[in-house]
Amino acid sequence: MRPIPIALLLTAACMAQNPHTTPEDVAAGAKIFRSHCADCHGLTGTGGKGPDLTTGVFYHGSSDTALLNNISDGIEGTAMPGQFFSPDQIWQVVAYVRTLAVKGSLKAPPGDRISGEQLFKTKGCVNCHLVKGQGGINGPDLSHIGSQRPAEAIRKSIVEPSAEVDMSYWQADIVLENGTPYKGILLNEDTYNVQMLHPAKGLLTLPKRDFRKFEIVKTSAMPSYQSHLQPAELNDLVAYLWTLQRPRRAE
Amino acid sequence: MKTLIFFAITGVLLCAQNDWSTYSGAYNGWRHSTLDQINRTNAGNLKVAWVYQMPITERIESTPLVVDGIMYLTEPPSNVVALDAETGRPYWRYRRSLPAKINVCCGQVNRGVAVSGDRVFVGTVDGHLVALHAKTGSVLWDVEVAEPKNGYSVTGAPLIVKDMVISGVSGGEYGVRGFLDAYDMKTGQRRWRFWTIPEPGQPGSESWKGDAWKHGGGPTWVTGSFDAEQNLIVWGTGNPSPDWNGDVRPGDNLYTDSAIALDADTGKLKWHYQFVPHDTHDWDAVQVPVLVDGDWQGQRRKLVYWAHRNGFFYVLDRTNGQFLLGKAFATQTWNGGFTKEGRPIRKPNIDPIPEGRYIWPGVQGATNWYSPSYSPQTGFFYLTAWENKGLYRKGDAEYIAGNRYIGSVPEIDLPEEPGWGAIRALNPKTGERVWEHKMHTKPWSGVLSTAGRLVFGSTGGWISREKVAMESYFFALDAESGKELWRINLGGTMASNPMSYSVKGKQYVVMPAGSGIFAFALP
Repeated sequence: MRPIPIALLLTAACMAQNPHTTPEDVAAGAKIFRSHCADCHGLTGTGGKGPDLTTGVFYHGSSDTALLNNISDGIEGTAMPGQFFSPDQIWQVVAYVRTLAVKGSLKAPPGDRISGEQLFKTKGCVNCHLVKGQGGINGPDLSHIGSQRPAEAIRKSIVEPSAEVDMSYWQADIVLENGTPYKGILLNEDTYNVQMLHPAKGLLTLPKRDFRKFEIVKTSAMPSYQSHLQPAELNDLVAYLWTLQRPRRAE
Repeated sequence: MKTLIFFAITGVLLCAQNDWSTYSGAYNGWRHSTLDQINRTNAGNLKVAWVYQMPITERIESTPLVVDGIMYLTEPPSNVVALDAETGRPYWRYRRSLPAKINVCCGQVNRGVAVSGDRVFVGTVDGHLVALHAKTGSVLWDVEVAEPKNGYSVTGAPLIVKDMVISGVSGGEYGVRGFLDAYDMKTGQRRWRFWTIPEPGQPGSESWKGDAWKHGGGPTWVTGSFDAEQNLIVWGTGNPSPDWNGDVRPGDNLYTDSAIALDADTGKLKWHYQFVPHDTHDWDAVQVPVLVDGDWQGQRRKLVYWAHRNGFFYVLDRTNGQFLLGKAFATQTWNGGFTKEGRPIRKPNIDPIPEGRYIWPGVQGATNWYSPSYSPQTGFFYLTAWENKGLYRKGDAEYIAGNRYIGSVPEIDLPEEPGWGAIRALNPKTGERVWEHKMHTKPWSGVLSTAGRLVFGSTGGWISREKVAMESYFFALDAESGKELWRINLGGTMASNPMSYSVKGKQYVVMPAGSGIFAFALP
């Protein structure tokens, strides 16, 4: 038997490629995932107690080797435990996790992004939405929306804002016993108080004992922009928002 | 001589009152303090006396013990600290080095120590039981209870019974075979082991099929109670494994989800009562058994009060395990009543299915491991209750040693309908609710009653990245009416139990929150 150069061994160890990527491996990995990982990462990998695994980008390393090590050893300082699987089984899980990455957002949508950026500033979007430190705060920060949502979802949010409203933007509709109304983004609620971001008065804590009315509004405060934008303008705006990507971490 | 006897007697009494010497305060599991310096008239003046902060990232589930002015408590994962109970200043710390791989279902947590004389005992997440010197923290002995690579860990506080240390195990989400152990306090040698899952041929084994018993679950992760008169250890057992997929384990699955009563000297089973035969909802019987010699329909009887995760309050006869009462204390949709023998009459269509099924109570139950309390003054049973439903899904269950074996992905906090919590007072003679103190969140902490006619409790929620409602109020309620008398926002996850003690004539009430131990007293 010929000795294998040590350098080659090291390279192999550092740059390991997943040897288990057949459809059968993916199916086996999916089974393990559902039994052992889905508790924290969700049945479809979209996250729960643990992070979303469908982004294809992993905070603690995105290479196959990093995934192998993190599944095998766990991640210190997080709730991610080490798992007692064989290396082959872990590779199968890695193969499955790779299939979870959201596809389709990688191709730029049609439209003129320069024109879209102008529309963003002139059509009122900027009054409520922050992009890279500029803009309003009554709607979600869109600085990285292109990494967070596929183009189709961005388009839908513009024409049909209430179709999908994140809990973080639900509104509290409150009337005090003295008749004063308050409506703003519901930031927090406990047994005694409600915290809100009021569009005019800013951050407020209101005591529940003074409430005459308290409703949680789960629709969006944003109006539909369907009638405010030509079809071409809508394309341009989506094209611009899609370019707002999160910087990739170096491996 | 007379004076001496007087002092001896009062000394014992004072000692019993001032200390908090075991997990539930006393063997009866009441979590009741006989101290009354803090009471209904002055509770509104409670102030922070001291705070002890831990260098941790895990949750505190520890109930501190106080013996002769020294507080002994655990820091997660498995460290022990001794503090001056008057100032919160530390004397010593035992720091356990742990292997890299430890799987504990729900955090590397610990619920406290046991103390006897110069010895402090702690169970560890790597499956050991350790005896420390109470004055230095030096290790006196260290024995393996069970192997962590097979999914075992120890998270519960040990219980001292005579000259023995009783320890349970965790691992119901890892397909362990549960047991309860007794160790010689001086040497660490094991005296007996009671397997909560019987092997073929043993009584109860007919409730299992095939090899399912080998990974049948039934852990013993919350400290039980001791009836010295009957020499009886009463303890609760956890869920069968896998939790939410019962297909691989047909049968009743004894002695999971049960109250078990063992002879303290031999570890032999004297009686059992199974709250949930063939559980598929993770409704562990891991509550502290509350032992009361009380009135039952005009007769004085030895009783066990038990508010179970499945939403029912039970009264059992402590001499034989006979079922006397089962009454819902929270909304439930699984049980249509009881047979004369006390077997629940399960409603149809309650087992988890792949697409999910909504059942009340939810996966974390209508109450859980955090302690209830019994006050001999009011005669009420107090508990933390949840009004919540869960989405129960059945999934694949594949046993691989040391890994999760749960058979599902439960949905615990339904974002649109998260449920709410309450402190409730029950009349244990009927199970009827006397009063409730409602809160926005579902608390993860137990309750303490005191002779000051107070009940201490807290609001709930865990700190989370998402905007899941979380609040951290610690409060005092009037034990008779439930009226709130005092509260403070402690700003961190509370997942423990309040306790009370006295040093140099001053009463303290303690509640862990976030990474701190908060002690309150009158100014």
